[in-house]
Amino acid sequence: MELNVLDEEYMYPGHVACPGCGAAIAMRFFLKALGDKMIIVLPACCWSVIAGPYPQSTLKVPVIHSAFETGGAVASGVRAALDVKGDTETTVVTWAGDGGTFDIGFQALSGAVERNEDFIYVCYDNEAYMNTGIQRSSSTPYGAWTTTTPGSEWKKMRKKNIVEALVAHRIPYAATANIAFPEDLVRKTKKAKAIKGSRFLHIYATCPTGWRIPSEISVKIARMAVQTNIFPLYEVEDGVKYTINYKPKEYPVREYFKLQGRFKHLTDQDLKHIQDMVDEDRELLLRKAGEHS
Amino acid sequence: MKRVLEGSQAVAEAVRLARVDVISAYPITPQTHIVEFLSEYCANGTMNARFLRVESEHSALATLIGAATTGVRTFTATSSQGLALMHELLHWSSGARVPIVMAEVNRALAPGWNIWTDQTDSLAQRDTGWIQLYCENGQEVIDTTIQAFRLGEWVNLPVMVVLDAFFLSHTYEPVDVPDQELVDRFLPPYAPKFQVDTEDPCAFGSLVTPNAYMEMRYNIAEAMEETLSRFQDVEDEYAAIFDRRYGSVEPVLCDDAEIVLVTSGTITSTSRQVIDDLRARGEKVGLLKIKLFRPFPVDIIRQVLKTAPKVAVIDRNISFGASGIFAQEVRAALCNLAGHPPVFGYIVGLGGRDVTADLLEDIYWRTKNNEAPEKESIWLGLQEV
Amino acid sequence: MAEKRESESVVPLLIPRSYMSTESNLTGSWRFLKPGYAEKTAPCSTACPAGEDIGQIEMLMTQGMFKEAWETILRENPFPAVCGRVCYHPCEGKCNRGEFDEAIAIHSIERFLADTASRNEFKPSIDKLPSKREKVAVVGAGPSGLAAAYFLTLLGYTCDVFESMPEAGGILRWGIPLYRLPVSVLRSEISRIEEMGVRIHTGKHISQDFIKEAISDYSAIFVGCGHSRTRRLNIPGEDIEGVENGFEFLRKIREGEKPSFDGLVAVIGGGNTAVDVARNIIRLGGKSLIVYRRRRQDMPAFDQEIQMAIEERVEIRELLAPAKVEFNGNEYTLTVQHMKVAGKDVDGRAAIEPEGDKTEEIKVQRIFKAIGEEAAEAWYNPPDKEENMLTLGNSVLVNSSRGAALIFGGDLTNKTKSVVHAVASGKEAAIALDIFFHEGFDAIESRLETCAVGDGPPLSMEVYMGGPRSQRKRHVVVYNEINTDYFQLIPRVTQPRLLIEERLKTFEEIDLKISANLAMREAERCFNCGLCNQCDNCYLFCPDLSVIRDNSSQGRHINYDYCKGCGLCVVECPRNAMVLEEEGQ
Repeated sequence: MELNVLDEEYMYPGHVACPGCGAAIAMRFFLKALGDKMIIVLPACCWSVIAGPYPQSTLKVPVIHSAFETGGAVASGVRAALDVKGDTETTVVTWAGDGGTFDIGFQALSGAVERNEDFIYVCYDNEAYMNTGIQRSSSTPYGAWTTTTPGSEWKKMRKKNIVEALVAHRIPYAATANIAFPEDLVRKTKKAKAIKGSRFLHIYATCPTGWRIPSEISVKIARMAVQTNIFPLYEVEDGVKYTINYKPKEYPVREYFKLQGRFKHLTDQDLKHIQDMVDEDRELLLRKAGEHS
Repeated sequence: MKRVLEGSQAVAEAVRLARVDVISAYPITPQTHIVEFLSEYCANGTMNARFLRVESEHSALATLIGAATTGVRTFTATSSQGLALMHELLHWSSGARVPIVMAEVNRALAPGWNIWTDQTDSLAQRDTGWIQLYCENGQEVIDTTIQAFRLGEWVNLPVMVVLDAFFLSHTYEPVDVPDQELVDRFLPPYAPKFQVDTEDPCAFGSLVTPNAYMEMRYNIAEAMEETLSRFQDVEDEYAAIFDRRYGSVEPVLCDDAEIVLVTSGTITSTSRQVIDDLRARGEKVGLLKIKLFRPFPVDIIRQVLKTAPKVAVIDRNISFGASGIFAQEVRAALCNLAGHPPVFGYIVGLGGRDVTADLLEDIYWRTKNNEAPEKESIWLGLQEV
Repeated sequence: MAEKRESESVVPLLIPRSYMSTESNLTGSWRFLKPGYAEKTAPCSTACPAGEDIGQIEMLMTQGMFKEAWETILRENPFPAVCGRVCYHPCEGKCNRGEFDEAIAIHSIERFLADTASRNEFKPSIDKLPSKREKVAVVGAGPSGLAAAYFLTLLGYTCDVFESMPEAGGILRWGIPLYRLPVSVLRSEISRIEEMGVRIHTGKHISQDFIKEAISDYSAIFVGCGHSRTRRLNIPGEDIEGVENGFEFLRKIREGEKPSFDGLVAVIGGGNTAVDVARNIIRLGGKSLIVYRRRRQDMPAFDQEIQMAIEERVEIRELLAPAKVEFNGNEYTLTVQHMKVAGKDVDGRAAIEPEGDKTEEIKVQRIFKAIGEEAAEAWYNPPDKEENMLTLGNSVLVNSSRGAALIFGGDLTNKTKSVVHAVASGKEAAIALDIFFHEGFDAIESRLETCAVGDGPPLSMEVYMGGPRSQRKRHVVVYNEINTDYFQLIPRVTQPRLLIEERLKTFEEIDLKISANLAMREAERCFNCGLCNQCDNCYLFCPDLSVIRDNSSQGRHINYDYCKGCGLCVVECPRNAMVLEEEGQ
C-alpha cells in the first residue's frame, strides 16, 4: 500500500488522548489533508479535552470550543461572519463526536445541512459518549455493552445511519472514512474541500478504552470494520449518486466482534443475527449504488 | 426623522442603523415582526447583513456566538420559550465575552400557551451575565438598541433590550428615527478585542481547571461593575448627538414622596399618569422607573429610596418560592442601608392581564394603608375561581 | 465617519483563550510498554545454508539497487550466478509469503542479479579485512574449496587453491550438466574470485605427503576434494564392460565427449547424479529409465530436478533393487528385485525389504551406476575421532600437533550434498580458522554461535565481521507475526523455460532470463520479514506524533518524551521490524 500523506503536521504531541486513540489519528490525517486556513468549531466531545486545557491548545489551527449541541449552528455563524468579511479562503470545519452529531447535535446539524451552509462537518465516531464515560449513543452498534447498556441490557437497537439521514437532505457531499484507510480519508477530505455547500465526513475512530481492546490493535480493528462490511467505505454526491469505494474480501463479522471486550457477551446466535443485519445493510447499499451482490 | 412605527419596527430600524453584520433568529410570537422586517431589509439590500434562518433559538444564539467570535457585529431577537431554550447559551455568550445584542420581547412562559406580556422570561435569565435594559416606549426602544451595541462592545458583554409583548412590540407610536450618518458618528465600526485568526491561531473556550476559572468569572463580574459607569458614558455620548437620555433609573417626584412606586416596562407609562392624578389629589407619591436591571444600579436606587418612607415595587413577573423579582432586587439593594424603608411587593399583569390605572392606584392605597408589608409579594387582580 | 472613541474597558479581558502548545506535557510518562526499532531475522535466511540476507536482497531489488543487492549476496555467497541456477532453494520452502499466496521466487531474483552484474561488469565493493600473515592452502577448486578461499581472502588471508583437473570448478565444471549451468557463467564467477587475489593452480594433484610438508608454508589446509568415486553396487555383473559409472560419465560429457545413444538406457540410483545422467542421455538420443530401490519420494535428488526429468520423459521406476547384470553381446539384462515398504528408516525414508521372490528382467542398451559417490582417496575423509578435533555444522577441524591445521568441508563432511552447503562449508571453515588463529581452538564453537543467522545453523560473514546485520535480533519472524493486511494476493512470477521439445534437442540452458520489471515486481512481493523498508506506517499511525523522521540509517526515531506506548506502530509494521518491551528494560 503506497501511502502518500503530507509531511506537514498541524497538531502537537503532548495531548491527553488515550494511548491508541482513533480520534487523534483521525484528526491528524484530516488536518494534513485540509491544510491550513481553517477554523475548527469543536462542540463537547473527547476532543474538547484532547485539544488541551487552558492555556494550551494542541492544534495549530484556530479553534472555537462550543456547547454540545451547537456544532452545526456555531459553524454556520462563523461562515456567515467570514462571508461578511469577504474571506473566501478559510474553510469552516465542525469537528464533533457521535454524541454531538447523532443525538444532541442532530438538530443543529440537520438545520445547517438543510440550509446548505458552506462548511465541512466531520463526525469522528467512537460509537458511544466516550468523553463522559462510555455511555450509549444512537451511534452505538447493535450488541454493544456500554455503561448505560450494561449486562443483559446490551444495546438492542441498530446503529443510526447518519450518512443516510443526511443524504436525505440532498447534502452535496457525504462520505464514510476510516482511520485504517488514510489515503481514502485524505482523498475524500480534499474532495470535500473543493465542494461548496454542506459536506459531511463520517470517520470511524476506534476507542480502545471504551471498546475494551488493547490499544495496539486500534487500527487493525478499524480495518476489520471495513473488511467485514460493518462500516463500508462509500460516498454520496448530491444525495443521489452513490459510489462504493472499497470492495473488501468480506470476512464474516465474528472475528471483529470476538476481539472486542464490549461484545464479549454475544452468543453465536447473536452473531448470526448480526451477520444477517450486516448482509442486509450491504444489499441495501449495493442497490443504492446500482450494483448487485 | 419622525415616523410612526410599531415597537418591533423600531428595533429593526435600530439594527439597520447599527450596521449589524450577522442576524440569526427563530420566529416566535410576538418577536416575529422584528425578524420579518430584518429579513426584508436583508433581502432588498437595505441591510448588508447575513440573515441566518436557523432551526431553533438555541441554534440562533449558537450561530451568533460563532459569528461574534469571528469578529462581526451580531443581533438576534426572541421571547419567552425561545429565550428559555437559549438559556445554556446565554451563559455561554457572557462567558465568551461576545457583545451580542438581543431584543427580548417579554412574553409569558408555557404551559398554558400565553403570548402576551409577562416579565418572568427575561428576569429568569438575570444570572446569565447579560446586561438587561427595560424599555418603556418606542423611542426608548430604538435609542436603547443602538446604544446597546456601543455599550456591549465597550465592556464585552452581551446586551438584552427588553420590551413588552404587544403593548410595546405591536403598538404604533411616533418615533424619531436617527439619521444613519449620526448613528455612524455615535457607533463606530465593530473593532473586536479578539477574534479567530488563521494567521494567529488559538483556541477559544477550552477546558479550564479550578485554578484558572474563578479569575475569568471575576473578570466578568468586574465588567458588569464597570457597566454601571459605561452606561452613563454611552448615554452621555448619545445625548451629545441626539439630545435624548433615559438614565439607568428615572426618578419622578421622588424627593418628597412618602410612597415611591417602582416600575419597569410599559407599566411605567401608566404609572406616570397615576402619580400625576394622585399628586393632583394631594398624595405624596413618587415613581422610580428602573431601566437598567443588570447590572442592578444599587447605588442610585439606594440614593433615591433611602429617604422614602415606603416603597412599592410592581412586578409583572414571579420567582416561585420567593417573590416578585424587582421587589427582591430592591430589597437586596436596600437591606444593608440603616433605616431603610419597607418594601411592599405586588404581582400584577401576568400573562398579559391588563394593568390599569385603577389597579395601580389600588396598589398605592394598599401601601399607604398598611404599616408594613403583609407578605413579600401580594398578587393583585386575581379572579375568583 | 465616527471619531476615534474610547472603547477600551478599564478591566482588560481575561477569557479562556489558549495560545500555548501542549508540548510541555511529557506524556511519555504514561508509558508502561515501550516500542523500539529492532530488525529481526527472516526465515528464508535461516533456511539458506549460506545464510544469505535474502529479505535485504529483495528490498534492495525493489529499490532498483541491483549492484547493492548483488553485493549483499556476495557477502555470504560467492556464487550467485551458480546458485541462482542450480540451488534447490530451501529458502523458498520457508518463505512466509508461501502461507499467504506463493513463496517468492528467490532463485529467479538471485540469478537476475548475478546476470545483471555480469552484463554490466559490476565490480563488487564489499568489506575486506586488512592482510594477515597466515596463508591457507585449499585442496580442490570445487564449490567448497573456492568458497573457503573466497571467505578467507575477505578475512585478509592469502590462499592457494590446488586443483587436479585442468580447470577449476569441481562439480560445477566437471559434473553439473550445461543445460543447468553454462560454462561461461561459471568462468565469470571464478574469475571474480581470482581477481580478489586467490591463486588457483590447476593440473596440480595433491597427495597426502603434501599435507605433512605444507606446514612450512601454510598455517592451515582446507580439504574440499569432494566425492568423486562411484560406489559399487556389489552385484554380479557390475564390472561387465559397458556398465559405467554415472559420475565419470558426467565428467566425460563436460570434458567434451558426445557419445550417442539409442534405445533404452538404465540408470541405477536416485540422487542428482542419476537424474543428471538420465537427462544427459535423453539429449544424446537415448531413452532413460531410472531404477530406484526405494520410493519416488525417497529419492535424494532435488524435487525440481526429478520434475524436470519426468517432463523430459525420463521414466522412473521405484521399489526396484538391482540384483544382477548380464550381457549377451547385444544387449544387457538387468535383473531387479521388487521391493516393498516395511516401516521407516531413521532418516524418515521408507525402510524396504524384498517382496518375496518377485524379480524382473529389464533389457537395456547400456547401464549406468549412480547410487552415490565417496571420496576418491581415503585421506580425503576426516578422521573418525581424534583428539583436538572439532565437528562443526558443515566442516571438521583437526588441530594437528605436528603440522598445519586441517579442515575438511564440502561433500566430504556435509549430510546434504549441494552447492550451497559447500559454500556453507567454505564460510564456516574460513571463520573457524580465523577464530582458531587469533583466539585459539577452544574459542571456536562459542564464537561461531555468535555469528549464526537466527537459530542457526547458517553463519553470516557480515555478522562475524560486525557489519550492520549483526545488529539484528536473532528472533526468526513467523507468518502470523506479519501484518498481512498490507499485502494483496499477487501470483508469483513464472520464470520462462525452453519448451520441452526444445530442451530435448539441446544442452542449452533451460531456464530463461526474466526482465528487470518482472524481477522487481517479484521482489516487491517479499514481506521483508523483520526488516524495515521505510514504509513509514509507524510514522503515519502514531496518534501522538512521536515518530520523527530523521537522517539516521533507520530513517526515524521515537520521541520517548511523548510516546504513550500504545503499540500501534508495532502492530501496523507489516514486517515485524519493531519490538514492544516493558518499560524500564
